[in-house]
Amino acid sequence: MTSPSAPVVATGYPWPIETTRLANGLRVVVSEDRTAPVVCVNLWYDVGSRHEPAGQTGFAHLFEHLMFEGSQHVAKTEHMRLVQGNGGSLNATTNPDRTNYFETMPAEHLELALWLEADRMGGLVPALTQETLDNQREVVKNERRQRYENVPYGDAWLRLLELLYPPGHPYHHATIGSMEDLNAASLDTFKAFHQQYYAPNNAVLTVAGDAGPAEVFALAEKYFGAIEPVPSIPPAPSGQVGEQPARRETVTAAVPAPRIYLSHRTHPFGTKGYDAITVLAAVLGNGRGSRLYQRLADGKRIAQPDYIGSYGVDLAHAPAPLIITATAKDGVPVEELEGGLGEVVGSLVTEPVTEDELARAKALLTTAWWRQVSTVGGRADTLSRYATQFGEPEAAAYRLPQWLSITADDVTEAAELTLKPESRVTLTYVPEEKA
Amino acid sequence: MTLIATRPEPGEARPYTFPDLQRVTVAGGTVIGAHLPGQLLASAMLMLDAGAARETAGREGTATVLAKSLEEGTRRRDSAAYAIALESLGAELSPSVDWDTFRVGVSAPVPQLLDAVRLAAEAARTPKLDPADVARVRDDEVTALRMDWAQPGPRADAALRADLFGSAERFGRPMHGDPTSVAAVTVDDVLAFHQSWMRRPGVLLVAGDLDTLDLAALGEAAFAGTEGDPLPVEPPLGVPVRDHRRVILVDRPGSVQSTLRIGHRSPERATPDYVAMTLAATVLGGAFTSRLNHLIREVKGYTYGIRGSYAMSRRFGRFEVAAGVQTAVTVPAIVDTLGEIGRTQRDGVTEEELAVARSWRAGQLSVEMQTPGSIVGALSTLVLYGLPDDYYPRLRRSYLETPIAEVSAAAAGHLHPHGLTLVVEGDAAIIRDELVAAEIGEIVDAQL
Repeated sequence: MTSPSAPVVATGYPWPIETTRLANGLRVVVSEDRTAPVVCVNLWYDVGSRHEPAGQTGFAHLFEHLMFEGSQHVAKTEHMRLVQGNGGSLNATTNPDRTNYFETMPAEHLELALWLEADRMGGLVPALTQETLDNQREVVKNERRQRYENVPYGDAWLRLLELLYPPGHPYHHATIGSMEDLNAASLDTFKAFHQQYYAPNNAVLTVAGDAGPAEVFALAEKYFGAIEPVPSIPPAPSGQVGEQPARRETVTAAVPAPRIYLSHRTHPFGTKGYDAITVLAAVLGNGRGSRLYQRLADGKRIAQPDYIGSYGVDLAHAPAPLIITATAKDGVPVEELEGGLGEVVGSLVTEPVTEDELARAKALLTTAWWRQVSTVGGRADTLSRYATQFGEPEAAAYRLPQWLSITADDVTEAAELTLKPESRVTLTYVPEEKA
Repeated sequence: MTLIATRPEPGEARPYTFPDLQRVTVAGGTVIGAHLPGQLLASAMLMLDAGAARETAGREGTATVLAKSLEEGTRRRDSAAYAIALESLGAELSPSVDWDTFRVGVSAPVPQLLDAVRLAAEAARTPKLDPADVARVRDDEVTALRMDWAQPGPRADAALRADLFGSAERFGRPMHGDPTSVAAVTVDDVLAFHQSWMRRPGVLLVAGDLDTLDLAALGEAAFAGTEGDPLPVEPPLGVPVRDHRRVILVDRPGSVQSTLRIGHRSPERATPDYVAMTLAATVLGGAFTSRLNHLIREVKGYTYGIRGSYAMSRRFGRFEVAAGVQTAVTVPAIVDTLGEIGRTQRDGVTEEELAVARSWRAGQLSVEMQTPGSIVGALSTLVLYGLPDDYYPRLRRSYLETPIAEVSAAAAGHLHPHGLTLVVEGDAAIIRDELVAAEIGEIVDAQL
């Protein structure tokens, strides 16, 4: 049952999708939309921090930086200059699952973007120097300081992963890596890394926006067609994770207020179980109408209203984490906050989700979905994800209808199965005593 | 394997267009709509002349407390009922305050936008503002500000602002107030602010598929029960700049980075040099390949990123460079930054650098304006600064055609390397001696 006000949604992707595969294995996805004269070129490489062996944490991400530092026919710093100097926006991100690269350009520069991407897929190694590696290693260490070390609670994600996934599990270590491993990174390791994983048969190229499939397929062949495939790319270690006990860590640090993160391993992104978790997370902690906000920020007024919520982290290669967080209001003991959080989480099992709660969550998820695909960049990234992780970009169209098909019973069952206190991870920050 | 060695030439460019605009005057206010055919989402923003500049001295943050109180219930329904009504449309309210305006934004799937705007107007025009709720929101905001001020940045920003505009002046105090000023805000302050400034019609900005959206109905919802004429705009503040540098040290014991905020005052948004200044600042610190980011990130590895820009509002502007640099290289990073600001002021920009800045700024007008939310933001710029409907195509041409001599002249006239205030937020015990020895300018400790 959906609310009467919610629009009936048959597809989450009402734009055309055309695909082909080059002889070297590169999958090419095109989604034409001539509304605006802009086009996005997006590449997903099926390599992330889950592939990193012990002693090489942070390498996939450091490598992402090196991809901007020049390749066979593109001088150092030219990549950025050519994209921005032709009006484009660009970036790249690395997470445990994969590495993506993307640029949105005025449409007349489509071919330039493809040329730049092909040159760094096929010709990075000859341009890689010790000087570049040393410089980008420092930039990444500064990124680590800025984003994780120099901000209150900044290392929560790093700690949660270690608590959620046992040593040796591909999600045990964070993508940013450790300072020690970054310092030990050698040039040869990076050359080998590129040769192993940056192969056409390990990538998906998506072009969305002001370009048609025939044109894009021909250009993809022209620029990427000569790049040799890599015959056997080793898979990442298995994401299987057996029963894990409840774990708890308390950190005393320079933080302004006590904060709690509760986390659970759920299901891999893309499964029906994870769709139920996505809806559950919205019921529980998305917006002022959510249970957490209504009961702890409003209601009991023990949690700060700006810092309460729950969300799933959309990882596909192992049971993905659900994270639930709240920060204590002034004078509220951390034990009281934890008790309150436990009660609200437990209520998902003992007090069935109402149709109104379900309709609210689905309406918010619907808007979030349409927002994600409202730009050519968002669309290209979505199609690359579904092609990489599920073998077909068309599967992107099912996600929103699948969220909307989740029932109240599905949410209760998901809560019963995955939110057990016996497997809960509890990370607590408490302020250090002021001298 | 043979990669293609030659860089491809661009194809033929399609002409730049900004969405067609429609204006409707209804119920005493104006609706401006931008047509985005086929868009599934739509955005609307009620913009009121009720910015932070209108707050009483010592009560900075009043408008922000009001913004956060709007969803604590209206005369028609309590806060829980309001949240559920709005979120069941897939909409969330985003009230915000800047120096010049108070904005209440919503976005929703097109069929739900009218109901979402009705709810937004209900909160903006007829909030319940129960005294106990307002006091609680005020206390929560004090706590939230303390949380925010525990991060690197806000204290440095406040120190720079106080030095540039004077801590006794409204513009010399943080836009959203500080923990002390917000703690001093009373329930009556909040009620009076709403009474004085939130009851004029204002302007409703809409971006979405206008074949389906009814602008008159949206306007009637937004302007119902309002009265009063637009307020006069006060004159610009001028551009006083000191003749010497000042270094302000903000202590953050144990910090592994130093947060830099380096700046001086500059003209307001209406300056005829707007485009030339923007292009000059793009060369200096705007693009990834800018002089600052190239030297300090890509060559030296001192930072994850450094940016320099002019920020301009209706009555004032300021030039600012912002970065976080590793503690051990604080002084070398500052020296290099000063070097690039000085070089740009003295020697201007090169054709090659300017070409990148021109194309980037021009291209961003299409690349970064794809969503209803970004188009509503663009409309707000037109309204706030009284710009014509064909402003964006004209702006694009100006970015592409402003002569290099004008850009270099803007750098020469609007950068003041010897009048800079340099705020350094970091571990004072480690960096103070080196800062003193570097003789960058007089050193003072921040009074925060």
